[in-house]
Amino acid sequence: MKKNLRWKLIIILAVIGLCIFLIYPPQNKIKLGLDLKGGTHLLLQVMTEDAINAETDQQIARFEDVFKKNNITYTQAAKEKPGRFFVAGVNPDQEGKIRDLVDQYTRDWDYTFTGDKIIFTLKQVAAQFLREQAVTQTLETIRNRIDQFGVAEPVIQKQGSDRIVVELPGIDDPERVKNLIKVTAVLEFKLVKAGPLPDEQALLQEFGGKVPEDVEIVKGDPKRGHQGFYLVNKVAAITGKDLRTVRRGVDEWNNPAVHFTLTAEGARRFEQVTGQNVGKQLAIILDGKLQSAPVINSRISDSGIIQGRFTPEEADDLVVILKAGALPAGIKYLEERTVGPSLGSDSIRQGLIAGLVAIFAVMAFMVFYYQLSGLNAIIALILNELIIFGAMGYFKATFTLPGIAGIILGIGMAVDANILIFERIKEELALGKNVASAINTGFSRAFSAIFDSNLTTILSAIFLFQFGTGPIKGYAVTLICGLVANLFTAVFVSRFIFDLTVPMNAKRLSI
Amino acid sequence: MKIFKKTTQIDFLKYKWIALGVTFAIILAGILNITLGKGLKMGVDFGEGTLIRVQFKDPVSVSAIRKLLSDVGLGKSIIQETGKEGREFQIRTVETRSTKQQEQELESHQILANKVIEALKSKDDQQRAAQGLIDLNNIDHKALTAFLAQAFPDKSEELAGRIIDYRTKHGLIIDLNQLKQDPEVNLPDEVLNFLQKKTFLGQMTVLSKETVGPQAGKELRKKATQAVIWSLVAMLVYIAFRFKGVEYGASAIITLFQDVLIALSIYSFTNREINLPIIAAMLTIVGYSINDTIVVFDRIRELKKTMRREPLEKIMNTSININLTRTIFTAGTTFLAVLSLFLFGGKVINDFAFIMLIGSLEGVYSTIFMSCPVVLFWNSLFKNKKFRK
Repeated sequence: MKKNLRWKLIIILAVIGLCIFLIYPPQNKIKLGLDLKGGTHLLLQVMTEDAINAETDQQIARFEDVFKKNNITYTQAAKEKPGRFFVAGVNPDQEGKIRDLVDQYTRDWDYTFTGDKIIFTLKQVAAQFLREQAVTQTLETIRNRIDQFGVAEPVIQKQGSDRIVVELPGIDDPERVKNLIKVTAVLEFKLVKAGPLPDEQALLQEFGGKVPEDVEIVKGDPKRGHQGFYLVNKVAAITGKDLRTVRRGVDEWNNPAVHFTLTAEGARRFEQVTGQNVGKQLAIILDGKLQSAPVINSRISDSGIIQGRFTPEEADDLVVILKAGALPAGIKYLEERTVGPSLGSDSIRQGLIAGLVAIFAVMAFMVFYYQLSGLNAIIALILNELIIFGAMGYFKATFTLPGIAGIILGIGMAVDANILIFERIKEELALGKNVASAINTGFSRAFSAIFDSNLTTILSAIFLFQFGTGPIKGYAVTLICGLVANLFTAVFVSRFIFDLTVPMNAKRLSI
Repeated sequence: MKIFKKTTQIDFLKYKWIALGVTFAIILAGILNITLGKGLKMGVDFGEGTLIRVQFKDPVSVSAIRKLLSDVGLGKSIIQETGKEGREFQIRTVETRSTKQQEQELESHQILANKVIEALKSKDDQQRAAQGLIDLNNIDHKALTAFLAQAFPDKSEELAGRIIDYRTKHGLIIDLNQLKQDPEVNLPDEVLNFLQKKTFLGQMTVLSKETVGPQAGKELRKKATQAVIWSLVAMLVYIAFRFKGVEYGASAIITLFQDVLIALSIYSFTNREINLPIIAAMLTIVGYSINDTIVVFDRIRELKKTMRREPLEKIMNTSININLTRTIFTAGTTFLAVLSLFLFGGKVINDFAFIMLIGSLEGVYSTIFMSCPVVLFWNSLFKNKKFRK
């Protein structure tokens, strides 16, 4: 064997070995997309405006507090829109003092004085930070919830500025998980002032039809068996943030319930509130809906129980969301795609059949028309497929149904390069050239056409990859891998086989 | 072996007027159909309704399904049978529900989808579910494990796995006894008895359900448009770089648009919908089809040097004829591959395979009959003096 052929052989064997290493064992290395293995794909948007809104409310409350403590008079402090609020009726003489105070307390807000009114606007940078933080926190919370719920190999990723992609393999009835992800999960314990009564008016009668200052109305959650309205303290005794541990258990009637213990700080406050209010009702409120309102029998310090006619699943889910914490902002579903496992396995089977038929049809054609040279093309084609799988393994790319289509399409396109070369060789032979030089010219002349043809298709595929979503990306990846590998197999490997099998002084070429 | 004994001498350019006429006829019909007729049907990917694939235990007819859906006011839904002896169907909701809040739009799609699914479940199944029985054909692995844990706490996970694997393989469980008879499942009698008491086998199962809300649909539309525009720009840059003569560049561009228009026109006469894979297929067609044109043009440039005295039309004919085998065969192998995808690849990828089939045939046609005539027309329009000697 000539020296340069030996080197070529080593290169080819190395590539084969590498690809087998990259894809073996296939069940570990091949990642299947949700369209093939079944599962739920969710795209959701984080309502980042909520975070700005909450920050504005908090800021108003904080300034009111600061102003009161520092004897600054004003008549009104109110929100204009998220990220913008005003304090009206201030004494213009106190402007200097106010400026000092505000500068001392926050740098995130711009403020301007116009007469007796101060307008606060949230700085762009601060707003941006809040939005990003809201998305990150939401993502972490969702991840926690899904981990608690127990899904094997979930994918939870940020997409763009405020989107989150959630992929849940093996979940083909996504309703429960969707609800689990979506609940804001703000848990509050508040003292009940009055209620329950069937409608709001009745509730307010003894207060002259108006909601008094530091209380608010909450509605019972019908699912938990509470129909009426309650009047409760605005300030929560404890919230979900004060929980230390949460677990599912049962109440005294053996119904599913959620047990919790409190942090030291939470326990101190809870002890104080329950100690002072024995005999009163304490409302347990989740996302603004009253779950239950047990009577405080005695001072409670660091543990308690949430009841509410839960099914076992509901109690489990409540544990999950309480453990994972509340969402900093609301979310909205934009896209949902669910594929059951049987459709996925059908797709794999049909894709496999189509692929095998395609490869055998193409092989049969090549051998039929190009005879022994066709065999050469077949070896190149098989190697091409092996390299595609190797590359997919290396890039940890996901196989999707369009990806399978890309591979099958690639089977048809891969032999194009061989056809270009073989036709050119035939032309050269017809001109009377000898076999060796015909092969030589065939390869060199056909190369630019092969390069051209692969390049234009790769160009389209690159933009598909850039702008496409999951399955389409899978298609673009397999197509690109196939076409790049094609340059190696059809040009380098195929040439090597000719050089190896056709003697320099051959009179005939089987083509 | 050779299909054509010698290089063929077919005068393709003789048919240039016919070819042009055919092209125009197809595109005109397509454009009329798209603008005035049926139009291009956008699919779920672009925010239109929900696509639900269902499988039934027993064969059902399309009209029976339509009847069920009409009863709940969803009779306009597009219903297609997708094989397996009248047991598999694809249903797409078309009615849109007006909602007060924009934000609720995805949910409104889903309310409709859930209505469809409920309507398709038989009355018996609904009653059984109301009695607290579990539908073994619609429960997922996690829930089934939890359910079996009531009676068989030690091996619930493993039993559930066996049952779900069987269901995944066969689509639906038709008879509980199969779970005992199938050697791979081989459920013990006590489990079978438990299932017989506490579960039932639903008439129907949902194979897949896809909903894209209007907002996400709009974004996907934008992304698809961007992908198309940027690939076309890339092709134009490539063509400008690759071709010396403006008439060849212009012809390549026109051929390229013609590829897209013909594929779209033919597609518009089918009942198929435009989804993301269709856009992907179109771009692939564009990238793929332009190559043959390039090869023929390259050959023309080469032959112009050796066949100086011959008219351009003759040079073109010779170029096309020399390349004929490879034009047909390269497209032919791709056609073979796509054909097997079309025939065996299954329903989910069928639209994609279909448009690729059109594309691979159409690429041959445009190379042979369109690219060269366009150069001639361009010359006769803009370069009169130069070519009339």
